[in-house]
Amino acid sequence: MENVIEIKGLTKEFKVLNRHEGIKGSFKDLFSRDYKIVKAVDDISMNVGQGEIVGYLGPNGAGKSTTIKMMTGVLEPSSGELIVNGRVPYKERKKNCEDIGVVFGQRSQLWWALPLVESFKLLKDIYQIPDKDYKDMLDIYGTMVDLDMLLHKPVRQMSLGQRTLSDILAAFLHNPKIVFLDEPTIGLDVSMKSKIRELILELNKKKNTTVILTTHDMGDVDALCRRIVIIDKGKKLYDNDIQHLRGFFGSYRTLKIRPKEEIKLAADELEKELKDLDIKVSISDDNEWINLLVNEDKIKVLDVLSKVQSLHDIRDMQLEEISTEEVIKKIYEGGI
Amino acid sequence: MNKKRGLGFYLKIYFKIIGQDIKSKMSYRSDFIISTLGMILTNVAGFVSFWIMFRNFPSINGWGYYEMLFLYGFSLIAITPVQCLFDNNWSLRMFVYSGDFIKYYFRPINLFFYFQSEVFDVKGLGQLAFGIGTLVYAWGKLGLAVNAVVLIKLILFLITASLFMIALQNAAAAACFWMENSYFILELAFKFKDYAKYPITIFNAVFKFIFTFMIPIAFIAYYPSMIILRPDEVGLLSLLSPVIGLIFFYGSYKLWMLGASRYNGTGS
Amino acid sequence: MGLRKYFTLTRMGIIEALHYRLSLYVKIIGNLLYLILIYYLWKAIFHSAGTDVVNGMTFESTMVYLVLASALYGFMEMYVVWEIGRNIQKGDIVVYMLKPMEYRHYLFWELSGSLIVGFLTTVLPTFIVVAIVTHGTIPLGINLAYFVVSVALAMIINFQIDFMVGNICFFTESIWGINMMKQVIVLLLSGATIPIAFFPEAVKNVVNVLPFVAIYDSPLTILLNGNGDSAMVMEKLLIQLGWAVGLTILSHIFWKISVRQVTVNGG
Repeated sequence: MENVIEIKGLTKEFKVLNRHEGIKGSFKDLFSRDYKIVKAVDDISMNVGQGEIVGYLGPNGAGKSTTIKMMTGVLEPSSGELIVNGRVPYKERKKNCEDIGVVFGQRSQLWWALPLVESFKLLKDIYQIPDKDYKDMLDIYGTMVDLDMLLHKPVRQMSLGQRTLSDILAAFLHNPKIVFLDEPTIGLDVSMKSKIRELILELNKKKNTTVILTTHDMGDVDALCRRIVIIDKGKKLYDNDIQHLRGFFGSYRTLKIRPKEEIKLAADELEKELKDLDIKVSISDDNEWINLLVNEDKIKVLDVLSKVQSLHDIRDMQLEEISTEEVIKKIYEGGI
Repeated sequence: MNKKRGLGFYLKIYFKIIGQDIKSKMSYRSDFIISTLGMILTNVAGFVSFWIMFRNFPSINGWGYYEMLFLYGFSLIAITPVQCLFDNNWSLRMFVYSGDFIKYYFRPINLFFYFQSEVFDVKGLGQLAFGIGTLVYAWGKLGLAVNAVVLIKLILFLITASLFMIALQNAAAAACFWMENSYFILELAFKFKDYAKYPITIFNAVFKFIFTFMIPIAFIAYYPSMIILRPDEVGLLSLLSPVIGLIFFYGSYKLWMLGASRYNGTGS
Repeated sequence: MGLRKYFTLTRMGIIEALHYRLSLYVKIIGNLLYLILIYYLWKAIFHSAGTDVVNGMTFESTMVYLVLASALYGFMEMYVVWEIGRNIQKGDIVVYMLKPMEYRHYLFWELSGSLIVGFLTTVLPTFIVVAIVTHGTIPLGINLAYFVVSVALAMIINFQIDFMVGNICFFTESIWGINMMKQVIVLLLSGATIPIAFFPEAVKNVVNVLPFVAIYDSPLTILLNGNGDSAMVMEKLLIQLGWAVGLTILSHIFWKISVRQVTVNGG
């Protein structure tokens, strides 16, 4: 597999003014030279191959967007190496743009007042897409979405979902080698989310397009990414495939039980009773279940169950594999 | 794949993008009416100021009423290109502030070009009509010659003058890359241009220098129109103004692009 | 307490105005250059006129008038139109409608912070410099007190006009066109670019029944000629008060109509 992105020791620093509080502080800031250096991206290295879908994850402010801005040529790295499609993006921004497509969150890049087809025509000219390729691409789109309905609708009249869909189609239109998607499913309903995921997956398969995806939605990650990269505070924490991630902490599983007693009370008691066994006790969002996160390298789930059963009356139980979300939460929280 | 993007490509794209903008504008009719009305009122107010001024003072520094009117018309025409073609500069600050400016980086075309091409302000043409009317009227009253050579000179030096206005506005708009809340700079530049119609000779040496080389409003009407208005008194600066104009324009473009390269896309 | 929430906004406004430090420096230099420009222009004009007094104004009094007008402008122009336009286009206006305070009041009190900073950084220094340089042109007496009252009223009138013009942004996209138009017209008709004294009689009569003179001309006339002529001062202040009340009511009606437009058309 050929690498389309090669990153080595990539770092980006920003200079920010130390601001002070209150009116007095604001006056002080007027003359202050008190700057501090913040490393938004700190010594990141990775390679991405042609056709991969990489989930680029991290909490807010982790440095995801900064990395993407460097890969797309918006920002100049402070140090380190960054090669995209054999080029240094910052030095050859225009050339780089020919081979990439970008969808940046909810900022639409389409011509707002006009029907989508007008934006497409303009993009065709800007990217100098040959007529045949353009037609082929529209044909492919036609098999994936209800294109006729989208093409003739002014972008400003579209729903958020339709707009995102259109933006993604526009990003793939010139058949780029890499497409960057920054939170493509944010704010969308469940059915639209799955529609967009399907679209991305299909386009990736058909055109062998590399996709770099940042998201906070673990549904996106589960549906799309075979590989994930996690960063926090600018540093890379994890870079491997998703199966490996689940086994990363040994074999975790979640035992869900529904006690006869009042749930809060039972959870508190269980917390005390299972203290020595390194089991994380929590109550599910719907307030129905008590979740026990069990590390099976240390103790078998069945042993935990029998212990719990000896102490409490249980009405119901379930066993679940650990979700990606929980794993990632653990990594963010410093589980490594 | 090797794609060439020369002048031909950019011209073609320019007209297409502008075409889209005009189509967009048509879809907001009330907007068009309101802003056209605004433009007319703005120009009428300008004329009224001029008229009040010269009712009280028939000449300034040896420049008579019709000569001043000529300078006024000249400056109105010279401002037209900046109004029609570079109008998006007024929104630059908002794009940068909100973070939406980032979208301009994702296309394989020149950033400055892409940004400016997105808006064509039709109302500027109304101003052009005002300007031409004024210029023709003053021209007739002054009894200046009309022949092909003069007309070519006129067009060349009008373009020259407009380069300075464009440069001034680019630089003022680019300020938003370095400072927040920079709207007033653009507005100041816009206010300065109202004084472009007065002869530079009213200033002392220091400010003559400032308003010639630093905030080049003297080039928006005075120096270039000398060529037509007082051909016998033409100085070196008037003759060189096309070259100086290109230098200023290029400088402002570079400044704008430098600002854009500083942009970090976080929206502040 | 009731007033407290307003003062919190004022305080936030001050902090925010100071936040833009670079722009503060540039603003001062830019305004200085602008004043120099006006100075040379009018010097040349008076020089060409050949007489010292034109329409009852000397070069010196014209300059004092224009410099102070420009300072007042720098302090009162708060880009309300711009702000409203932006809020409307970005859809933030809905957020403001949900706040437990009328949008108009919210804007006004938030701006009051920048106004205080503007007063301290533009009007006061300009006033002091002019008073020292021209020693004697600005009488220092009871007129100063009247002036402050008059400026406060002018502020309200200016804000209400801005607010009404800003409401036009509900119906149009081109904010800056509207803003430009407003500025040019207000500056001309209020006497901020050319003192009203120079206007032809017929124009003067028209301009005097419009509210714009109450923004710049009234405070400046009160400041420069207000000592002793208390009848004139009272008349001007009363007219200003009338405009302030009238326009406040009018802008309230304007807002109601615009809001209905939004709720009907969904923005």
